[in-house]
Amino acid sequence: MDIPYTVTARPDTGLYNAKVGIWLFLASEVMLFGGLFSAYIFLRVGADYHWPIHELNVQLGFINTVVLIASSVTVVMAWAFLKLRKFGMYQLMMAITVICAAIFMVNKTLEYKAKFEHYSVKLTDGTILTGHLEHGYFVHFKDINKLTLNVHLETAAIDADPVDYVLPYVEGESPKFKTEAGDEIELNAATFAKLRSDAIDAMREENKSKQFQRDWTGTKNIVLTAVSPLKLKLPASSFFSYSETNVTLRDGTIAEGKLEDDRMTLDVDGIDVRSVADAEKSMAWEADYLPAFKPVFIATRDHHQNEFKEKYPSRDPSKSATLQTESYFIKIHSAKADENMPGHEGGHSAEAHEPEAAAGHDAAEAGGHEGGHHPVVVLKKKDIAFFSNFTPKLNTYYAIYFTLTGLHGLHVVFGALVLLYFLVFNGKMMREDPEHLANRVEVGGLFWHFVDLVWIFLFPLLYLL
Amino acid sequence: MADNLEEIQKSVKKYLVIGGLLLLFTVITVWLSYVELPTHSMNIMVGMIVAAFKASLVALIFMHLSHEKKIIYKVLLFTVILVSVLFILFYMTHGDPLIFEGFDKTSIKQH
Repeated sequence: MDIPYTVTARPDTGLYNAKVGIWLFLASEVMLFGGLFSAYIFLRVGADYHWPIHELNVQLGFINTVVLIASSVTVVMAWAFLKLRKFGMYQLMMAITVICAAIFMVNKTLEYKAKFEHYSVKLTDGTILTGHLEHGYFVHFKDINKLTLNVHLETAAIDADPVDYVLPYVEGESPKFKTEAGDEIELNAATFAKLRSDAIDAMREENKSKQFQRDWTGTKNIVLTAVSPLKLKLPASSFFSYSETNVTLRDGTIAEGKLEDDRMTLDVDGIDVRSVADAEKSMAWEADYLPAFKPVFIATRDHHQNEFKEKYPSRDPSKSATLQTESYFIKIHSAKADENMPGHEGGHSAEAHEPEAAAGHDAAEAGGHEGGHHPVVVLKKKDIAFFSNFTPKLNTYYAIYFTLTGLHGLHVVFGALVLLYFLVFNGKMMREDPEHLANRVEVGGLFWHFVDLVWIFLFPLLYLL
Repeated sequence: MADNLEEIQKSVKKYLVIGGLLLLFTVITVWLSYVELPTHSMNIMVGMIVAAFKASLVALIFMHLSHEKKIIYKVLLFTVILVSVLFILFYMTHGDPLIFEGFDKTSIKQH
C-alpha cells in the first residue's frame, strides 16, 4: 500500500502529510533544546566561578557558523532547483550541503580534541594554571613489597582483580610473588583464579554451620609478597587514595611501599588569578613556580585598569567581566597561542603584550627548562586543589557546552545522512516523480534549517557572551 | 509555499540575499561581543536580539513560515507557549538566594 498524500495535499490540512509530520517533530525538538537552554541560564546565574567569555576558539566557531549558514542556503536552493527541474544544479547544491556538514564536524572534532588535551589546575589559594601535561600525570610508588587482595564471598562492587587493576601499572617485567603458603607464582589470570577459588572455598568451609546458603558471607585477604620490590606508575584514575606508605587501587587492593613522586609537570599557557583573595600574593608567583611573571602580571593589570579608567571614568572596573579577564588572567604567548587569541584584535596597544612575551621567554630560560614555547612548572601535590582537562567535570560551563554542542553535532550528522541518502539513492525518483522528491528534500531541509537555527543561538551564548 | 515556478525562480535570488544578510549579522554579533557596553548583561541582551533576528530570518524565509498553512501555525503556537514556560521557570527562582553560606565566597571575589 502506498503512503497517501506524499505529493498532493490532504484536503483538510492543505499540506502533504510529511510536512505536518516534520513540524510536529520540530516542535518537540524546540522543547528538547529549549530545556537545555533553560538549564544554561540556571547554570550561568548560579555559577560560583568566572563564567568563560571568549574562551573557546572564536575563529573556529565563526567559520562553523559561516559553513552552516552556507549549507542552509544551498539546501533551500536545492529544493528550488528541483522544483524548477534543474537536476544538475539540485545535485550540486545537495552535495555542497553535505560537504559543509562534513567541514562542520571536522572543525568540531578539532575543537573537542584541543579541549581534551588542555588542562586546568586549581591551586589551594584559588589560582588556576592552564596548560598541557606533555607526559600525563602519574603517581609513582617504589619498593612495593606487599599486595593485600580483598576477596568477597558474595558479589561486591569492589572485589580484587589485580590482573586488570594492578598489573597494568607495574613497571618492568611481569612480577613474581610469594603466596602465604610459600609458593612462588607469577601473577596472571590463571594463578589469581586459583588463589581466589582457594579463598572462596575456605570461606565456604567457615560458613558451613549456617543453615541457609544465602546467609553465607565473608571477606578474606590474600597477601602476596613481592619476590623483588616493584615499581608502580599510577594514573590519577587508577587509585582511590594513597599515603606515603601505601596506595589503595580501584579493585580495593592495597599495595605497600614508598611514595616516590607525585608532583605534576605542567607546561603553563595561562595564569588565572581572578579568584585569588590577593592577586599579588598568588601561589603562582612563589619562587618555585612562576616568579618571573609577577611583574608582567602587575604591569598588564595596571595597564588595562588605567586604560579602562580613562575610557570609562564613570564605570566600576570590578563589574567588567572583560577587564577582569584582561587584568587577572594572563595568557602566556607563543606562536601557537597567538593564533588562538582573537581577544587581542580588540584594539589594545601592543606594548602591554610585548613585555609579557619577553618575560615569558626569560622565565623559561631562568628556570633552566629546555625547548617549547611555554614555561614549565613542577607543582607539589599539596598545592593542587583540583585538576581536570577541559571536559564536563571541570565546571558547569563545560558540562553544558559539551551537552549542547554534542547534541547539536548529532543533529548535524543525522541531518546530513538523510540529505546524503536523498542525493545518492533517490535518483530514480528524481527523474520519475520529482515532485515527491522535492517534498522529501523540503522536509529534510526544514530539519537542516532547524539545526542552523539552534547554532545561531549556541554560537553567541557559548563562544562570545 | 511558493507554488508557481516564476515565484520559485525569484526566490533563488532571495535565498542568496538572506544568506548574505545572515553572514553580515554573524560578523556584527562577533564585533558587538568585543564592544564594552556599560554592563555585560547588556552585551548578552544585544547579542540575543541579533540572534533572534537571524533566527527569524531563517524561520520566515528558509523554512517558508512567512506563508504557511494554518495548521502549522496552530502547532507552533503551542510550542511557543510551552517553551516560554521553560524560560519563565527562571524568573520563578528570581527571589531565591544564589549566594549562601554553602558557597565558597572567595572564589567569586571581584577585584
